[in-house]
Amino acid sequence: MFQIGHHTKLFSYARADVDTGLKMAEERQKEIERSAEEIVESFVKAAEDLPSEREMYYSQEEYNVVRPDGKPSSIDERAEFRKRFIKIMPAKDEDGNLRVEVAKWVK
Amino acid sequence: MGEVTKAKRELLLNGELSPVENVRRALERISKLNSKINAFIEVNNGAVAQAEALERKLKRGKRAGKLAGLAIGIKSNINVNGLRATCASRTLEDYVAAYDAEVVRRVLAEDGIIVGMNNMDEFACGSSGETSAFGVTDNPTAPGRIPGGSSSGGGAAIAAGMCDLCLGTDTGGSIRNPASHCGVVGVKPTYGLVPRQGLIDLGMSLDQIGPIAPDVYGAALLLEVIAGKNLNESVMLDVLKASYIDKLDGVDIKGMKVGVSPQFTEITDSAVMNVIDKSIEALRDLGAKIVDVELPHIEEAMPAYYLIVSVEFFSATRKFDGRKYGKRIEDVCGDEVLRRILRGRYISQKEYRGKYYQRALQVRTIIRRELMAALKKVDVIVGPTVPKLPHKLGTKLAPMEMYAYDYLTIPANLAGICGGVVKAGEVDGIPIGLQVQGKVLGEEQVLRVMLAFEAVS
Repeated sequence: MFQIGHHTKLFSYARADVDTGLKMAEERQKEIERSAEEIVESFVKAAEDLPSEREMYYSQEEYNVVRPDGKPSSIDERAEFRKRFIKIMPAKDEDGNLRVEVAKWVK
Repeated sequence: MGEVTKAKRELLLNGELSPVENVRRALERISKLNSKINAFIEVNNGAVAQAEALERKLKRGKRAGKLAGLAIGIKSNINVNGLRATCASRTLEDYVAAYDAEVVRRVLAEDGIIVGMNNMDEFACGSSGETSAFGVTDNPTAPGRIPGGSSSGGGAAIAAGMCDLCLGTDTGGSIRNPASHCGVVGVKPTYGLVPRQGLIDLGMSLDQIGPIAPDVYGAALLLEVIAGKNLNESVMLDVLKASYIDKLDGVDIKGMKVGVSPQFTEITDSAVMNVIDKSIEALRDLGAKIVDVELPHIEEAMPAYYLIVSVEFFSATRKFDGRKYGKRIEDVCGDEVLRRILRGRYISQKEYRGKYYQRALQVRTIIRRELMAALKKVDVIVGPTVPKLPHKLGTKLAPMEMYAYDYLTIPANLAGICGGVVKAGEVDGIPIGLQVQGKVLGEEQVLRVMLAFEAVS
């Protein structure tokens, strides 16, 4: 699958490849957007003659109950879970806290 | 395949087959076949040690759990502590689960041995098993054809005898579709019967975890283990415990009312329908009363479903922004995942809410009402699972052609009812599954019909 990041690394070697790659990415995005709309259009057509009804967010009404508070897990269990979670964090500070960077797309 | 699981379980319980031997055989078979079938993304290296621990426990005279020593595969969107829950996506390719999903806890508590994580369509977005970032899965029963999806690895693993039972998930047919294409048994439970805690969701109002098995007994056994309320979840039915196995002995369907709909015939290939018609005759011969039921809006269910699932999926994927774990989903996902994200984003916009999303939820009401009305007249509704034969691997299909695989399975998800699939027959060596849909919490009747049919087919 095409990834922009991969191709930009090759910038100094193959400018033409980058241009082709970016064009492919744009084309792929456009094609996916077009096909994403297809089912929306098909739905509008299919639902044209159907009556208006109450909306159902879940298939049953009685699901959305407020759950009672359960018994909290033990300190040992929480410490063990924390250790396992830290292993999969992308970055952490010196105290072992999760460190997140501002995402690229909001910079 | 009818008695495979029962016989295996008896061998394990009476000591003729040891858990270690059973798990070793499964691992050997995975090792031998997986390069061709690609049903597993990851194998559990601790499986043999877990089987040894179980043997020690049994030797000490402790009670054997219901799944004692059986080799279980888990779909890669369910968290198993220490194994990767990738959703078959590059987004989560390095994500090692830090905890067990509630269903996994229940499997382990009944002494099931998890042998690995099954391949699937990426984030369960697919009906063919071809969208996995870890490669396509082949159909062991009809080699060179799709195994169906999105629980492609589970269906293929059972069909190839790589493990005894699998856990899959079904949002619009993802257990029933591969069960049909691979010629095995699958059950989508009633929405809210099985805990979803620890499942990486596709569509939260539609997803259910369920069993895939070589036979009805195996599916009933695994469903019995995972079903029932989890106090940590709010979206669950008030069912504390379920029991199916002890109700399946000497099963008789005489006098049961079995619904069939003329709308199934209208949207199903004639070759598939011929097999299904013969199955319906077999049920009649078993003493069931065949009753016509009308489902006039079944075709509208598919587009409505894809709108709802896209909105829910878009919402579910916002956590995959690459900051806490994994990679940003839009940067690395495949086409179908991106298509659903873009569609969900579009439909979720405030100005389109009433036009698309709310309208789709209204159609959901219509579909549910129709199915409920039909199920008031009958005990179960039977028909085809998938309207067409599985295509050859690699065939290019337009998204709408791919979505058409789900026409007959989606209504059960929209209505929240249960449904199961059992092999009905074959067309040119390709398995065809009979779908049996039941009422809310009608799993027992569904399993009874499936078992009676299995016994004579």
